[in-house]
Amino acid sequence: MTRLLFLILFYSTLTFSQNKVLDSLENKLKTHQHRDTLRVKLLINTANNCQHESPEKALKYIQEAREISENTGWLKGLSASIRQEGIVYYYQANTEKAMDLWQEALKVAEPLDDKVFNASIYNNLGGIFADMKQSERALEEYNKLLIAAKEANHKPYLINALSNIGVVYNEMNNSEKALPYLVEALEIAQEEKSDYFVAAIKTNLGHVYQKKGEYLKAKKQFEDAVSMAVSLKNKYIEASALNSIGKINIALNEFDNAKINSEKALVLANEIDAVEWKSDSWLVLSKVYSEKEDYKQALEAYENHIQFRDSIFSEEKKAEITRKDMQFQLEKKEALSNAEIKRQKIIKNSAMSGGAILLLIAVLGGIFYKKRRDDIEKVRTSQFESKVADTELKALRTQMNPHFIFNSLNSINDFIAKNNIKEANNYLVKFSKLIRAILENSDKKWIPIAEELELTELYIQLESYRLHSKFEYHFEIDDQIDQENTLIPPLILQPFIENSIWHGIAPLTEDGEITISIKQKEKMLICTIDDNGVGRMTKSKSSKTSMGIEITKNRLEIISQQKKVKGDLKLIDKPKGFKVELSLPLEEQF
Amino acid sequence: MLQALIVDDEQHCIDRLKLLFENHKHNIGNYKICHSVSQAKSILENYNIDVLFLDVQLQNEMGFDLLKQLNTINFEIIFTTAYDSYAVEAFKFSALDYLLKPIDNDDLTLAMDKLKERKTLLNSAKKVASLLHNLNKNNDNKVINLSNSEGLHIIKVKEIIRCQADGNYTHLYLQNDKRITVSKTLKYFENLLKSYLFFRIHQSHLINLLYLNQFNQKKRVVKLNDGSEIEVSIRKKEPLLRILNDMKNF
Repeated sequence: MTRLLFLILFYSTLTFSQNKVLDSLENKLKTHQHRDTLRVKLLINTANNCQHESPEKALKYIQEAREISENTGWLKGLSASIRQEGIVYYYQANTEKAMDLWQEALKVAEPLDDKVFNASIYNNLGGIFADMKQSERALEEYNKLLIAAKEANHKPYLINALSNIGVVYNEMNNSEKALPYLVEALEIAQEEKSDYFVAAIKTNLGHVYQKKGEYLKAKKQFEDAVSMAVSLKNKYIEASALNSIGKINIALNEFDNAKINSEKALVLANEIDAVEWKSDSWLVLSKVYSEKEDYKQALEAYENHIQFRDSIFSEEKKAEITRKDMQFQLEKKEALSNAEIKRQKIIKNSAMSGGAILLLIAVLGGIFYKKRRDDIEKVRTSQFESKVADTELKALRTQMNPHFIFNSLNSINDFIAKNNIKEANNYLVKFSKLIRAILENSDKKWIPIAEELELTELYIQLESYRLHSKFEYHFEIDDQIDQENTLIPPLILQPFIENSIWHGIAPLTEDGEITISIKQKEKMLICTIDDNGVGRMTKSKSSKTSMGIEITKNRLEIISQQKKVKGDLKLIDKPKGFKVELSLPLEEQF
Repeated sequence: MLQALIVDDEQHCIDRLKLLFENHKHNIGNYKICHSVSQAKSILENYNIDVLFLDVQLQNEMGFDLLKQLNTINFEIIFTTAYDSYAVEAFKFSALDYLLKPIDNDDLTLAMDKLKERKTLLNSAKKVASLLHNLNKNNDNKVINLSNSEGLHIIKVKEIIRCQADGNYTHLYLQNDKRITVSKTLKYFENLLKSYLFFRIHQSHLINLLYLNQFNQKKRVVKLNDGSEIEVSIRKKEPLLRILNDMKNF
């Protein structure tokens, strides 16, 4: 197995035109000491131009380029340096190291997303696969470069891709396919006046003709390549072409010429330590010795050939390279899947955070909506409650009316039965006045104390008639109370007065006395009905009176709720008589 | 001694008054009784009557019909009625006296006392005119009659911008910078005018909402068309807002 002359890509196009630039490059390096991107470019270019002759020097330049790139954070420079380092090792037949470095260069270049640059590295990796006869895999990589180069209209890369594809097809014994690629590559290289490329492509073209058995055509191409390589001082291409001529010599039975050419190539290969061409030279020589029946030398030559060949591609090395490739592919896949996972994560995260925000908005919206709704509901509820309470109050007041009216009708009946017509007449007129007043006030929640006292007095007068003025009554109203402005629920006192008269005073043998007093205590109105009657102990259980008091208690409760002030009702038994104390929230008209 | 005429279609009401007159022999000398408008008209035209007790509802007629048919009213009128808020309001507006049936002796005494206080009967005709004016249901230009030391004032309700309490007196502020003071409580006017868009915004102030220009809620002050600024009491702020809102929606 022989090493093929693949075009390996390096940094710039500077090397296209001539090879005499090395000296000028080294001069430029000396004058441009500033550690910037320009120096990195110069360093890589210089390395590229001296890598065949002095790989150590090249590696030294590359090391500096790497350091500058790392320090300045220039990723492309760093990647190009690494790529160039790989090229140096590749030409020294250290394929494993080259593979490591190119893979590293790819990783470094990844964030740049420079398709053409990446493709150039894939191209170089393709060379390794082609060396290992993994043609399909090599074509895959070269086609990547071809597409990228065409898109970017990058001539050097285009030449590279075309040439390399041609070489691979030739290796696959498909000369028909190989030729057009190489011819196109050659044309472009000639247009570009790149002697290096022309020389390399001619060598490859020669191999195609050689395979087709067109030895003279092949020889012509190789000889062109040699002369161009000499003027380029490119010993690598020269050695390769010379070995190829040697092989043609053998095929044409020109064994002496073969020996001369291969020995020349060997010298060159040794100079640049090109293992692959050493191996090639020894193969040609072994065939020459074999033809001359110098079997000892032939064997020695063959052993050298095998030794050098194996130093390039031993089975172990092949396995190692394959492993590295697989690992790289795996890592790449992992990186891709990681990127995908990351992307998915971002999508997921953004979806989640978006969802969370939406949720938050929804929740906040919900809260505000609920709060608003609750507020509205609260207002409604309170409005409704107050309405209900009002209705209840009204109901209670109207309940009071028939209760009071029928009580009064009973009184009238009793009165008429016991008295003369004239008195009964007067009584009835008073009664109708009272009823009129009650009806007028029954739709009012609150009336001024003055009006309430008028009503109450009217009522007491009526009862006094019935009991033939058996009792005296007094109103004691606190001076500080404005009777017109201070309000009280209508007829709130009447049931207690009625109770005092009929259950306290009526059973008395002597005259009784009722005192109705109203005092203001802070925000409360304290109303007391005080009698000197028989008290509760002897009172008969009258459902009528208890009903009146019951209704009043309920009214008081509702008023307390509405006013949010706790009213109070105290029933106090005295040694002689009975006292009711009613606390109402103070309500004023103005 | 006053000559009286009772006009009523129900005997028990007449009997009630007759009974009460027993207590007022010092005021009322003779009295005549009739049951209809036509009878009453002929009595009034032929006799010298000082005070007329006129029932509002007479069978198919109204007591007011009698007044419409008379050319001159040179007597005092005391209406008698059961319960009729519409008529009662009209009496109040016209400053005509009335007694609610069944008639209470105390009320009658009060009415007779007022009668004695009056210096002239001349106002009766004016008051009746106002009454008939106000009773016209299509009339949205009602008047109230108010008496003070200067005499009887006939005031359009629409004319009143606001009323202000001053003890037991009330100052009425009218359009064209007119002002009348009468010896009635603000509460009396509040009750009288509450169905005519008057609202008591303060213990001392009753305003005609039609003249409300602006309500500054922060300061709790209303500005009326005549330029006056009146305080609104804390407790009346919300009710006032409600009523203004209702007016707007109306």
